[in-house]
Amino acid sequence: MTRPRIRVAALAVASASALLLTACAGTGEAAAGDGWQPDKPIEYIAPANTGGGWDTLARTSARVLEENDVINRPMRVVNKPGGGGAIGWAHVAGKEGDPHTLFVTSPPILLVPLAGESDFDHTDFTPIARLAGEPLAYLVRADSPLTTFADLVEEVRDDPGSLSVAGGSGPGSMDHVGLAGAVQAGGADPSTVRYVPFDGGGEAMTALLGGHVQAAVSGASEARALVASGDLRVLAISGDERVGTLPDTETLGEQGIDYVFEIWRGVMGAPGMTEEQVAYYEDAFAEMTELDAWKQETEKLGWVHDFAGSAEFGEFLDGQYEELSGILTDIGLKK
Amino acid sequence: METLHHIVYGFGVALTPQNLAFVFLGVLIGTVIGMLPGLGPMSAIALMIPIAFTLDPASAIIMLAGVYYGAIFGGSTSSILLNAPGVAGTVATSFDGYPLARRGQAGKALSVAAVASFAGGTVGVIGLMLVAPTLSALTVSFGPAEYFALMVLGLTAVVSLSGVDLTKGLISATVGVMIALVGIDSQTATLRFTFGSSELYEGVEFLIVALGVFALAEVFVMVTRRGAPAPDATVTSLRLSRRELRTIGGPTARGSVLGFFTGVLPGAGATVASFLSYAMEKRVARDGKTFGEGNIKGVAAPESANNGAAVGSFVPLMTLGVPGSGTTAILLGALLVLGVQPGPLMLDERPEIFWGLIASMYIGNLVLLILNLPLIPLFARVLRTPQALLLPLIVVFCVVGVYGQSFGVFDLWLLVGFGLLGFLMRTNGFPAAPLILGLILGGLMERSMRQALLISSGDFTVFVTKPISATLLALAALSLLAPLVGVWRRRRARALRGAAERAHDGARPGDARTGGTAGTTEEPGAGREPREGGNG
Repeated sequence: MTRPRIRVAALAVASASALLLTACAGTGEAAAGDGWQPDKPIEYIAPANTGGGWDTLARTSARVLEENDVINRPMRVVNKPGGGGAIGWAHVAGKEGDPHTLFVTSPPILLVPLAGESDFDHTDFTPIARLAGEPLAYLVRADSPLTTFADLVEEVRDDPGSLSVAGGSGPGSMDHVGLAGAVQAGGADPSTVRYVPFDGGGEAMTALLGGHVQAAVSGASEARALVASGDLRVLAISGDERVGTLPDTETLGEQGIDYVFEIWRGVMGAPGMTEEQVAYYEDAFAEMTELDAWKQETEKLGWVHDFAGSAEFGEFLDGQYEELSGILTDIGLKK
Repeated sequence: METLHHIVYGFGVALTPQNLAFVFLGVLIGTVIGMLPGLGPMSAIALMIPIAFTLDPASAIIMLAGVYYGAIFGGSTSSILLNAPGVAGTVATSFDGYPLARRGQAGKALSVAAVASFAGGTVGVIGLMLVAPTLSALTVSFGPAEYFALMVLGLTAVVSLSGVDLTKGLISATVGVMIALVGIDSQTATLRFTFGSSELYEGVEFLIVALGVFALAEVFVMVTRRGAPAPDATVTSLRLSRRELRTIGGPTARGSVLGFFTGVLPGAGATVASFLSYAMEKRVARDGKTFGEGNIKGVAAPESANNGAAVGSFVPLMTLGVPGSGTTAILLGALLVLGVQPGPLMLDERPEIFWGLIASMYIGNLVLLILNLPLIPLFARVLRTPQALLLPLIVVFCVVGVYGQSFGVFDLWLLVGFGLLGFLMRTNGFPAAPLILGLILGGLMERSMRQALLISSGDFTVFVTKPISATLLALAALSLLAPLVGVWRRRRARALRGAAERAHDGARPGDARTGGTAGTTEEPGAGREPREGGNG
């Protein structure tokens, strides 16, 4: 019992000192004063069920915003599950000009419309901010002969039928695209990768552990427990730099494969918000990502700080849309 | 010896006044929310997470786990009393629980459910305690081919769930499998049977179907049968006789073990476990024919299994860090935010959480039993509510339960649609249970079959070359053969007897030799047999 208690104490000390630092650094941004401010509670939509990634993002950010008085009105998290996000997006799209409706988002806002499964895409909404990101991890069993991602690409090239790779999301979704893109950058035909979709990264890793597939793709933080225990090994991660959850793992770039795929997470609003309204939320989320409470929570979830304001986030989305569209066409899943 | 040491240590953690209070709070809230139709453990846990985040990790997981198995424990109440499953795992409980309640034996049904749940939970905890670390081997040994075989074995239960008419049962099961196909195909991302409606992209939620074809259909039946005698509202003693306890002993013991092992497999879970157990007991029991009419074994079997499975699902969560269901996924998320990383290293790094949780589950199950038993007469009194009040109340519960999951009006229309479907099925003699079975198993069966074939490059032999899969498929074949052999033997016996009797009537008494030529004289009679054989 003593060890955890010491750890808690250490954490408390660390957070207290960090809080002091931010208190000195923050020059009272919250008191923006003259600009637009929300005048009623904000409907903060997670277009999925409780418990998933979007729900976690919505609830974590709402809690940090409220508890630290970054925002002057309550953030009401509302789950609008269905259609892989499409139901929630349709709901927000119908709120043209409403500055009190926001939603949390990530790559499916690009991938689902590309697959022809949503009437609305990212251009139908107002980008607010990108908050965080997380790379994918390309995993094998500890006893696998493969050691780098290039080995996997070579295997795919030499014998297209020999390798099955499990992933936690459907065909044409994040894990599949992140795998296909990396294989393509490594010099093999991405349509020859045999991607086997499972229901969540956990099931994909279980299939890998049991030797039912030869490799798996999952979020980097999802994999950390089984990597730390030595059951699984990471060939590479898909980010542009190493992450704290898997500090010893090389990026694809370090292994000479020019490819980056991030499970980015951000916030968007209803269509047609004014510049002042966007600026208010942009500032609020910028302030939030600097808060110690946010940093602590996201670190535990394995998310990497990756802030971008409204304009930058919008450009980023356009660029990603083009890139993903190309990969989906190559693997024959674009509609 | 070491295990004993760990257990004592675990109880040391769980028995602190603070943690005792959180076990109690968790199971109380879980069992109450579990009773409300539609609102399952996921909603209950989501509700408790803000509180959990203010606690230390061990207390938090002890409380949240209590909410989970408490919900499964409480879910049987509305299944039995209202035919409206409280949680997905208790659908099978209504098959015999509800007929018992209609017969005025609600108290007994609820007691059986409580005792069986307690047993299932406790067996699960003991299993978790003794073999959890080694069980992760079982978890990973199940790949797509093995899951497919398990689902096939499960589907053979259609035969025993069909009741009098096997053909109608098979039609019903097929419709269930078809409903499971609705939505975005998991293997190719193709839209299937969505008719352009994005509400159907993620498929049809299981509980909507269950509430529709059971609870709502029942309401429709009761409304159209006005003037028919009301159900027996008397609540007989809830005490179980020694004979009854002995009767449910076997099903409970088998159900607990089966449930625990099914729970260990990610993706299978409490619902599949309860159906497997129910179907197995129906086959094993000598009075299997009375299953579905109010047999207490039919309550004990699914209830012990779903509680065993709820505990079993902690094996992949705690030993691999892999959630086996939506509910354990929320638990995993909560643990991460609390700074605990479940996985193979947790036993060494955070023993107080692992062993404390196990010990708390032991206590939690006891608390649930003590909490639920005295309340049974109170719950059972629900049935004394006049029908004019009870029926709208059931409808309200169903609507709230469904709306509370998605906050979408579309799902309410689905609920009404499935209510009407269930009503039409009832009035035309189609059993609803096979539909539910097809729906639960169909999706996972299709997905695992295609995963297995994708991995094997379309080679179907994977299903018989892998030992676990081959064994399960052989069991499935056997379980279909056994009734066939039974039918065949009965037919032969009856043919012989019939021939003997006819010979006896028509000819002189004592002419035994005519019996030998029965085969030829019995042809027309044999043609009639299969239908009757289906009864068995």
